[in-house]
Amino acid sequence: MATALLIVHGLVAVALLGALTHQALAAWEPASARPGSFFGRFRTVPPASFASATVVLYAASALLGGIVYLYFRVDIRPDLERAGHWPALGFFDLKEHFAAIGLALLPAYWVCWRRPRADEPVRTRAALTTVLAFIVWWSFLTGHVLNNMRGFGS
Amino acid sequence: MTSSHAFRRFAFAYGTAFAVLYVVALKLDLALFTVYPSLGIVLPGTHHSRDVTGPSMAFLAPAIYWYGWTATGALGALMVGLVAAFVPARWARRIWPGWLWVVPALAMVACVYLTMPWFRL
Repeated sequence: MATALLIVHGLVAVALLGALTHQALAAWEPASARPGSFFGRFRTVPPASFASATVVLYAASALLGGIVYLYFRVDIRPDLERAGHWPALGFFDLKEHFAAIGLALLPAYWVCWRRPRADEPVRTRAALTTVLAFIVWWSFLTGHVLNNMRGFGS
Repeated sequence: MTSSHAFRRFAFAYGTAFAVLYVVALKLDLALFTVYPSLGIVLPGTHHSRDVTGPSMAFLAPAIYWYGWTATGALGALMVGLVAAFVPARWARRIWPGWLWVVPALAMVACVYLTMPWFRL
């Protein structure tokens, strides 16, 4: 059960990673990019259309992560503690903290993209998206590394 | 239109307040509840093992505080958000919207600082 949940958690995270990275780059990419370039094509998609999908994927990933965390705390973390993998556990703690902060930002993130106000700086939503993208990248890489160190079922 | 503006104020206040309150909960260890997954019990408040004679017992009954810290932050932010939703719009316009990402970014830096002991072990 835990392994299946972890795999689904990982798959949802991959989709979320793609959506947020695409959106963050599209939000920051200056208008001078050549249309035929990779980044130019990146900009041709409307970043606002990723917002709802990102919210759903982030919430689903957080929910799955929250469930898998129960198994991690009982079956995995004690082994990592006994093995002295303190820095890895520190990185994982940061993943927990960052993910919680990101989860609370979702309503504001959605409002910024789906209900933008004319007098609101475009940089605000670009920066907010970048913060969320950083959180998702951090969480993905940390979770991946920890799973490599002591994966479920090992 | 009005409800849309109220939700905007709620969302902006909730996100920033949560970031601050989560760090406070983390620093002061204010978990709304403590979960013991191996025992299948949830206790209100923060509970730490007081077993000084057998500290290894913590491995048998690991405690989860993360849910409790998140709940503490969420509950506090909910109250701040609800207050912000009823604040007059002209007050809200005076607040720099950049706080929406600056505050969470600073909160993440604070989390790194509070997690530093893990890297000194």
